[in-house]
Amino acid sequence: MLSYNSLRIVCPFRALLHPNWLMTNRQTVNTTVTCSAHFVSTSFPKKDTWQRKCNLKSTGNESKLIYSTYTASSTRNYCTGKFKLNCWNCKQPLYETPAFFCMACKAVQPPEEGTSFFNIMDCDYKFSLDTQKLQKRYLHLQRSLHPDNFSQKSVKEQEYSESYSALVNKAYQTLLKPLSRGLYMLELKGMRIEEGTDSGADPEFLIELMEINEALDEAKTPEEASKIGQHTKGKLAVLTEEIDAALLKGQLQSAKALLAQMKYFANIEEKVKEKLSEFM
Amino acid sequence: MAIVSLRNSASSLVLFSRRLFSPELKAQCFYHIKVVDHYENPRNVGTLDKNSKNVGTGLVGAPACGDVMKLQIQVDENGKIVDAKFKTFGCGSAIASSSLATEWVKGKSVDEALKIRNIDIAKELCLPPVKLHCSMLAEDAIKAALSDYRIKQQVKK
Repeated sequence: MLSYNSLRIVCPFRALLHPNWLMTNRQTVNTTVTCSAHFVSTSFPKKDTWQRKCNLKSTGNESKLIYSTYTASSTRNYCTGKFKLNCWNCKQPLYETPAFFCMACKAVQPPEEGTSFFNIMDCDYKFSLDTQKLQKRYLHLQRSLHPDNFSQKSVKEQEYSESYSALVNKAYQTLLKPLSRGLYMLELKGMRIEEGTDSGADPEFLIELMEINEALDEAKTPEEASKIGQHTKGKLAVLTEEIDAALLKGQLQSAKALLAQMKYFANIEEKVKEKLSEFM
Repeated sequence: MAIVSLRNSASSLVLFSRRLFSPELKAQCFYHIKVVDHYENPRNVGTLDKNSKNVGTGLVGAPACGDVMKLQIQVDENGKIVDAKFKTFGCGSAIASSSLATEWVKGKSVDEALKIRNIDIAKELCLPPVKLHCSMLAEDAIKAALSDYRIKQQVKK
């Protein structure tokens, strides 16, 4: 089944040099030479690859006929080319992802949608990440992105720095703690822990939790509470290792179950802190 | 004259209805007074002998928020719940839901207690949407306790 899609787009001269930009460069504002590009795309759904022939004519001082053909593979009949962004200020292309500042004019950029926290904080996508490196990166980013640095700049720049700074905060807080980090990694894979009762929970485990909670509730001295705190820390360390192993192997279901267990112990850890502060 | 009076009554009716349908000015962003009451004056906190044949124990956990809830019922020979105790470690809404659940099951038969639904608990405590899962947890705890009692009764036979 052949389908013909005929598209007419207006693009700047620069775009002619980058075929990938033709279909996807929607953000570029037309300032200099304009040309109209008319091309026909044919798609063959069975093969899942399609070829486009682009016939371009520039109506500037020089008239050039540029033909370019390239193949793009997609599972559906639309283009999935790379989306390259341009600076909102000087229109120069932004080469890095995520781009915090434009290389040319140094203007702060708005955060790109869909960027993962791991990309923003320049950390490897794994559960056992280096929190020292994370902290350094966080401080480095906030030094340049914090809204206080933009008090004399335009409103747009202030807004962008605010939203980017807030996003960096959120990314840092999420990736810092193992529990939130693990839950975020599951979320990236489209999984989340559902609200409501866990019907598959091990009754022995729940009994153990109950006993720990009761013991903490009845603790009369800070030493008793600390002991429970130590025991909980030990459990959390073991769980962290197990979750790391499960995520490395791609065993999402077992990682999810382990993260649920971690949640219970994290709550107990919080209660230990509260109890110890009561004793003071 | 009649038209004027009709117009006046119509306008006053519009005014009245406008007042009736005006939206809530204050957003509910704190615990409801009923929840606070259950939290500060919890009813039926404690434990029953779980090894007794007349006691059903329900132990449930909510992994998303890390709450743990234990609800126990004591049933007499007529199948009527005579005592109920609970222990919940979690947020105020979870504590209030389980506290209310123990109040409600007392005096009911085993079959009647099965009919208690989470939406009734949530309605009674005016739980906000974000805390509805706490009432769900309480309903599951009641059902788990009743189920445990039933199993024990069958084993006894």
